[in-house]
Amino acid sequence: MTIKRITFLQELLSFVGLEERLHLSWISSAEAGKFIDVVGGFTEKIRSLGPNPLKSFDLEPWLKRMDSGQQTETGVQTSAAAG
Amino acid sequence: MENSMNCKLVPSVCSYCGTGCGVLFEVLDGELVGTQPLKTHPVNQGKLCIKGWNLHEHINSFMRLKAPLVRENGNLKKTTWNEAIRTTVDAFRKTVEQYGPESVGVLVSAKVTNEENYLAQKFARAAIGTNNIDHCARL
Amino acid sequence: MKEKIHIRQSVKQWLENGTVDIFLGYRDVEGHAVPHGFTLADLDEVESMAASESRYALEKLAAKIHERHPDKIIGMIARDCTQRALNVLSIWNQLDAGKIKTITVNCCPSQLKDHAACSYLEPEKAGTGKKQFGLDPHSDIEEAASAPKHERFSRWMYEMQKCIKCYGCRNICPVCFCRECSLENDDLVHAGMLPPDVPIFHLVRATHMAGRCIDCGLCEEACPMDIPLRLLYRKVNHIVSEVFDYDTGSSSDQSPFSVLGDKVTLEPKPIHQDTLEDA
Repeated sequence: MTIKRITFLQELLSFVGLEERLHLSWISSAEAGKFIDVVGGFTEKIRSLGPNPLKSFDLEPWLKRMDSGQQTETGVQTSAAAG
Repeated sequence: MENSMNCKLVPSVCSYCGTGCGVLFEVLDGELVGTQPLKTHPVNQGKLCIKGWNLHEHINSFMRLKAPLVRENGNLKKTTWNEAIRTTVDAFRKTVEQYGPESVGVLVSAKVTNEENYLAQKFARAAIGTNNIDHCARL
Repeated sequence: MKEKIHIRQSVKQWLENGTVDIFLGYRDVEGHAVPHGFTLADLDEVESMAASESRYALEKLAAKIHERHPDKIIGMIARDCTQRALNVLSIWNQLDAGKIKTITVNCCPSQLKDHAACSYLEPEKAGTGKKQFGLDPHSDIEEAASAPKHERFSRWMYEMQKCIKCYGCRNICPVCFCRECSLENDDLVHAGMLPPDVPIFHLVRATHMAGRCIDCGLCEEACPMDIPLRLLYRKVNHIVSEVFDYDTGSSSDQSPFSVLGDKVTLEPKPIHQDTLEDA
């Protein structure tokens, strides 16, 4: 059941563009070596992926693009908005 | 009639702001239990903001004013309309006499009709003699 | 026309011979089709019974009535999505399936029919802004999943950050019934913050829709900001179908999400108002 739930979350997060940041492993308290490997490996993977896109999420670019004189599909130039 | 069961949805208009979205009040067994948007209303077309969705709580709230209240010695006391109006008039007169008309401000809102808003600004400008009138939407 | 008269007659008969104690349908009120509970006490009201193009969640009303009157039989007009919702509600003990009688209206779009009569199918043109920065609600999940990762993210964030936290999606959902909603839990969704924590708010709701959402689209119709919620929940249903091998709403058999273990041993439990001190 747990595998299914984690798979569900992984698929859902990947659908909205937040993939590869959730991992599931079964490790007993006696398997110290495996714990080190899994945690170390996943940490490296996350480092290589870089910061979470939510950290740098900024609405401004959209506002700027919509304000500037960008051509729309109908060919009408949208006017630059006054401050 | 034992256990008479009733389910009516009553169309109405939201009273919170000047937009006037169409709502449906869920009335079960004569009791108001919920609010839904009126999907065929041209103004909101089946959508509501959080205030509109919770109108039923506002209507049934124990905090709702049901009679004029006047504050005496820090406590609110129930009174009559005449008494309340008289107290208010006396207070306004005293304030204007003592501190001048500019010491009074009038704040109106979108919950109130256009006609009442007009009356309020007339009251502020002509009766009190001040320009200190503003509207909640400008805040 | 003929079909409408037929339904009115059936409803009258059902009320008269006690097949149902109340029937939920629509009434014409000054040009609007409004949901109404027809009873034997006001039988002549059935004459003003109308068909409605707009879709209301009658099953949600039925669940509320059932909570107050658990022994009464409730009839209703049931669209295809209503049927699925009734299945889910009875799995989760919000309704007793034995106390519901339906007149079905077969309106869902399907390859097997000539035409569908669903209000959701009205062509809603996604404007240029939405196409450029956001998501077309009528696109399918494969299309939405095919874009590169950063584009998927930015398109969903564009849509979700418009949220005004009206809770309309949750309030109107026929299968949302929790008394304590996670979306009102201050640890998950902070009060007084607009937009709500994005995408947490929508992903939390999407996760809660697993095994419950019956793809009616009422949430998207209720969203004042036109966030493509149905697209998101369709993906949820797809994952549930693949990973849990469960088609939500297709039957009233026990769902893999409802109870851990083999059998449901709880009786349907409408909670009576007087047992709630601070409701």
